[in-house]
Amino acid sequence: MVMTIHNLYIFDRNGTLMFYGEWNRKKAGTMNKEEEGKLVYGMLFSLRSFLEKISPLDLTDNSFCYRTSKYKMNYWESPTGVKFVMNTDLSSPNVKDLLRVIYQMVYVEYVVKNPVCPMGEYIHSELFAQKLDELVKSSLIYTSKTS
Amino acid sequence: MALPPQATSITTPPDELPLELLHGELIFSGVLLSKDKEGDINELLSKLEFIGFSTGYRLIERLLKDSTRFKDELDTIKFICKDFWVAIYKKQIDNLRTNHQGTYVLQDNCFKLLSKISATKQYLEHGPKFLAFTCGIIRGALSNLGISSVVVAEISTMPTCRFHITIQRAT
Repeated sequence: MVMTIHNLYIFDRNGTLMFYGEWNRKKAGTMNKEEEGKLVYGMLFSLRSFLEKISPLDLTDNSFCYRTSKYKMNYWESPTGVKFVMNTDLSSPNVKDLLRVIYQMVYVEYVVKNPVCPMGEYIHSELFAQKLDELVKSSLIYTSKTS
Repeated sequence: MALPPQATSITTPPDELPLELLHGELIFSGVLLSKDKEGDINELLSKLEFIGFSTGYRLIERLLKDSTRFKDELDTIKFICKDFWVAIYKKQIDNLRTNHQGTYVLQDNCFKLLSKISATKQYLEHGPKFLAFTCGIIRGALSNLGISSVVVAEISTMPTCRFHITIQRAT
């Protein structure tokens, strides 16, 4: 079974793109990252309010995903409103836990506790990018990929 | 979900976090800089160093309450490397060197206040700001033990740093 993590977007509460990471993106985007981030955020924002409005039950979960015939987009939001969006392939299991671990182990450790990183701006820390890459590559979803 | 083995050990226990965050804010908030001299790095560093000095001066008093007298200067420095460092940074100094003439070099291979910032040359220019407080702590601690000294720090690659202690002899 081939499982892949394609890419990851991190948005802050106001919708600013804080980080974009890419691992196995086979089709390059046609616009720059900033534009793409806005598009992704806008779609997620609408989708989230749509889900809340039409839901027949109370939504307690701060995550959802959608799938196309080719890929799956997973969304997880921290209680403070930091949004993690990861695209995986269809056979990958729910990556909600992975996103939470990224938040706890990488985002909180290397962005929140790093006074050099201003909050609410794009993350330029190399250490953050390196730790994120290590975590993603060590996850089961990534390692079971047969390329 | 498989986690890398070191993943659990890197997280700071919540009780130490306020100090870490406060330290970061002291450096970057600009509270320590007076308005008209904004951006004067030396003023910031000396204020941080002084805060560290008072902290170290008081802290050593508290930490020594159960300790015996030190044999000599080296014994004192060893205490700084072991118990004192553990009390502040939850680890010991990794390497201690001395020329036996009043100069000591304390090396920390993963200095806590730098470990979250960078593991490369990135942000190296901010390094001195993160070390001034700790230089002051060491100087203050030694000062309360009757040893006057000059403490400077250097970083080659984060998060490794070295503190040079030069003991001032009364002439």
